[in-house]
Amino acid sequence: MSYVIPDEPRPGALGHLVVRPSAPLLASMLAGAWLAWPWFVLNAIALGSPTRRKEVGLVALAAAGTVALVVLTWLLIKLGVIDSRTTASLAVLAISTWKLAMAYWVCIVQSRTFHVYEYYGGAVRSAGAVLAAGFWLRPVVLGLLDDPFLIIIVAGGL
Amino acid sequence: MSIEERQIERLLELSDRLRSLSDWDGAIDALKRALALDPDHARAHAALALALLGARRLQGASIEARLALASDGGDPFCHHAAAAVLCAERKLDDAWAHCLVALEVESADVDVYVLGAHIRELQGRLDLARELLERALELEPVHVGALTALAEVELADGAIDRATARVDEALAAEPGSVDAHVIAGFVALRRGDVAGAEEHARFALGEDAADHGALRLYTAVKARRSWTMGLWWRFNSWLTLRSQRGQIAILLGSFVLIQLATIVAEAVGADDVAGALDLLWLGFCAYTWVAPFMFRRMLQRDLEKIVLRDDF
Repeated sequence: MSYVIPDEPRPGALGHLVVRPSAPLLASMLAGAWLAWPWFVLNAIALGSPTRRKEVGLVALAAAGTVALVVLTWLLIKLGVIDSRTTASLAVLAISTWKLAMAYWVCIVQSRTFHVYEYYGGAVRSAGAVLAAGFWLRPVVLGLLDDPFLIIIVAGGL
Repeated sequence: MSIEERQIERLLELSDRLRSLSDWDGAIDALKRALALDPDHARAHAALALALLGARRLQGASIEARLALASDGGDPFCHHAAAAVLCAERKLDDAWAHCLVALEVESADVDVYVLGAHIRELQGRLDLARELLERALELEPVHVGALTALAEVELADGAIDRATARVDEALAAEPGSVDAHVIAGFVALRRGDVAGAEEHARFALGEDAADHGALRLYTAVKARRSWTMGLWWRFNSWLTLRSQRGQIAILLGSFVLIQLATIVAEAVGADDVAGALDLLWLGFCAYTWVAPFMFRRMLQRDLEKIVLRDDF
């Protein structure tokens, strides 16, 4: 019997899908939340991260917070507070900043486990193809939506 | 003492020796075996926290330090480990509080003085750091760690001659000390002797290829030789002095400021300025994305062909 240090990952059947946490972070900038959020969750499960509940919780918080900010923006438009291109840009900037901050946060939490995983020789898959596909699919995914508020929710942080 | 307790003590001694040789994996393995025998052993948790810190597993170290304190909140070694972990997390006030407890209970442990001095140095209190190290050297006049730390404090204070004297003392006491060579390299770098600094870095890397300080010195030497890489290195060094939260706050703050400036420029009709700001931000993103890869490749190529001068 051996003592298990609480930061040690326990990769399961999806272990071959592990990527660097910076890949979903980059996806949040280049492709959008539609790719980044599920990818963070998948990576947490693939890593067998001991903090996966926290990571999934943070992704849920990111999604809920983004929806809340979009609803607030919609209300401010209805109330006439947001009535120009400048104020609309400021609202979108606030939402982008929130999404970026949350993506950084999840990335940092996941990186702690990832470094241990990598240090002990865990296999890491290249994320280039998924990132490139995400970048090229971005207009297709956003084109499926006709509501600008929904587009703001699933679009990228930048 | 039962057989089990004797086994744990032996494993703790083994882990101490392995930690002193920077064999973090070996130390971690020994401590895991000790904790398998007694999962509530406070000193084993504390030693494991320090070993994990050495292996740069901060999350695990933080958990183990908390477990150590929960198992025995009165053991100075547990406070020592907690202070070291909190210092690495840049929670400096909390780190100092634990260090103070460790010093009050065990006032003859030079390593705690060295740690305390490091915390004070990070807090910008060089005078207090120097005072702690002088007290450490009164207890043990040729403690290489304390001499090296004092040289580092003198260097941070701009007293290059005093730093040189201290690091020379450390190297005289232990010519193969990696830490002393690293500080000697930084002293040389401050004097503008880039080649001398590189020799110290190469020696230190020859002794321990994975030593963080030696790699930092070697990177600083390479950064000094390349203007574009040096810019990134300086920015990165400045950024990593902050906690992770601080780093994100700075990066996001920069993003928000640039975007705000762009929005304002567009609002007042200065589209040229808005375009320039956009380009500036794009350039910054591209540079900070590409620079680390180039820098790492450059370092890797160099590290593979390190050869020391015969007369070094």
